[in-house]
Amino acid sequence: MSAVAAVTPPVPSTFSGTAEGIAILVLLTAFAMLRAPQSRSQVRLYAFQSLAVAALAGYVAASRHVGDLYALAGLSLVLKAVVVPGVLMRVLGEARVDVSRSQRLSVASAVLLAIVLSVFGVFVVGSLPISSRSLPAPALGLAAAVILVAFLLVIVRSDVVSQAVGFFSMENGVSVAGLVVASGLPLIVEVAFLFDLLVAVVVFGVLMRVHHGRARTLSTEALDRLRG
Amino acid sequence: MRVIAAVTLSQPAIQVLQDLTILGLAPGVSGAIAHMEARLQGRRGPRVAQPYYDLAKLFRKETLVPEDASWVFFAGPILAFTCYLIVPLLIPVLTAYPLPLGYQGDILGGGFLLALAGFSVALAAAETNGPYAQLGSSRAMTFAALIEPSILFITFTVAVITATDLPYFEAAANRASFSAAIRPAHLLAALAFFLVVLNDTGRIPVETHSSTLEFGMIDEGRTLEHSGPPFALLKWGSAMKQLILYVLLVNVFAAPWGLAGSRRLGPVVLAILALLAKALGVGAVFAVIDSSFSKLRLFKITEFMAAAFLLAVLAILVLYLGRGG
Repeated sequence: MSAVAAVTPPVPSTFSGTAEGIAILVLLTAFAMLRAPQSRSQVRLYAFQSLAVAALAGYVAASRHVGDLYALAGLSLVLKAVVVPGVLMRVLGEARVDVSRSQRLSVASAVLLAIVLSVFGVFVVGSLPISSRSLPAPALGLAAAVILVAFLLVIVRSDVVSQAVGFFSMENGVSVAGLVVASGLPLIVEVAFLFDLLVAVVVFGVLMRVHHGRARTLSTEALDRLRG
Repeated sequence: MRVIAAVTLSQPAIQVLQDLTILGLAPGVSGAIAHMEARLQGRRGPRVAQPYYDLAKLFRKETLVPEDASWVFFAGPILAFTCYLIVPLLIPVLTAYPLPLGYQGDILGGGFLLALAGFSVALAAAETNGPYAQLGSSRAMTFAALIEPSILFITFTVAVITATDLPYFEAAANRASFSAAIRPAHLLAALAFFLVVLNDTGRIPVETHSSTLEFGMIDEGRTLEHSGPPFALLKWGSAMKQLILYVLLVNVFAAPWGLAGSRRLGPVVLAILALLAKALGVGAVFAVIDSSFSKLRLFKITEFMAAAFLLAVLAILVLYLGRGG
């Protein structure tokens, strides 16, 4: 048995196992967004994803004793899991559009494509010699996968809500990557990222309302017809 | 009592006991699941022992053979039943340590036997000229091919974790420590295997288990033309396949605890009881799923397969990353 144990990868510690588990949850939520047919369920998934990111930050803060991260976890919990989804839900409520039916690819093909993308992301990032004090290195590869899958969501769905949610969830991926690479970074930098996100929310909110006001739909297909 | 519990069994005897356990408990577990399902849906439901009565009745009935059917029609159920009798020899049903025949086949070997069983049932169905039986068998083969990539990646995960692909070693690796039991690669593979079991036992997101509507049938449709003792073998075989998959799910992936560590009679009997309890637990989960989700449309089943494949691929990815670059 000991000769066998030498060639198998080491068992991750309970800390890194749990942290990786939460990072995987973030990635799986990005995949679920690809599948979700309704705009509302996408927003709910985004709220859940942000919750997972906040939980990851809180978990790292608690087990690695990084005080700054508590503030980051709290801020992202309040902003990304409550305020942003709330704003999106309100805009959706005014628009009275529920099922978006905007998939350009079938769900199975989109998921397979996303699997290929995440494998690519994981292998590219995995070959970088990055190690981190705060989080296990696998989380970085997973963060890259989250960013790519969210990018795919923006590409394959042609409605404003999916594109907004995809953009925000790319930001979630960047947050996870930030936790791995630079959890010692001054809090002010992280907070600046969060306020960047708030600007994006305002822009997307205005886009959704104006677009829906003009075209009576949230689909971006209609944008082709807006030639002056 | 203590003297009896301390009797040491020979390894071949335990191996035969594994087979008998699966053979004897399988219809009861099916009956218990049907009963729980009925209770969850507010019906009284059949007795737990109903499958045993059904089997006894079918064995006494005459066998009707469709015109044009050859010997393959009879050989199919017998071959399938034989396969389901061989698989329990290879997997950890009762013992935590590998029995002599446990080394004769790995996870792939067991998978091949299960696939051979499915193939022979499909072949027997294709003999019949019955449209629904043929529809069922062609669908079953199609979806078996689509779920295959997930099974392969689960096997890869086991292979990377244990450097073998023997189910006994995977179970031992999971028992080794708490960190090993909650390592993400293992959880993802277990979840993927859960979805595979859901598909292979014909449960709700894929197939309605106890419907009489032929158009939605996949696995169930294959046996429509059979009757009498061959049909009894098919029903018994499908109950055994279900229990075998449950055993793989709990004793290899989800909860490899409660297995006998020695050859004494006491621990072995305890292991049988623990297996029954675990199988009923899994069955309860499946009954709840059956009652709380709706069946996927036939062309949406690929989404389900894609989800299982995603989980299995992620397991491998996490392992690759854990290697440290």
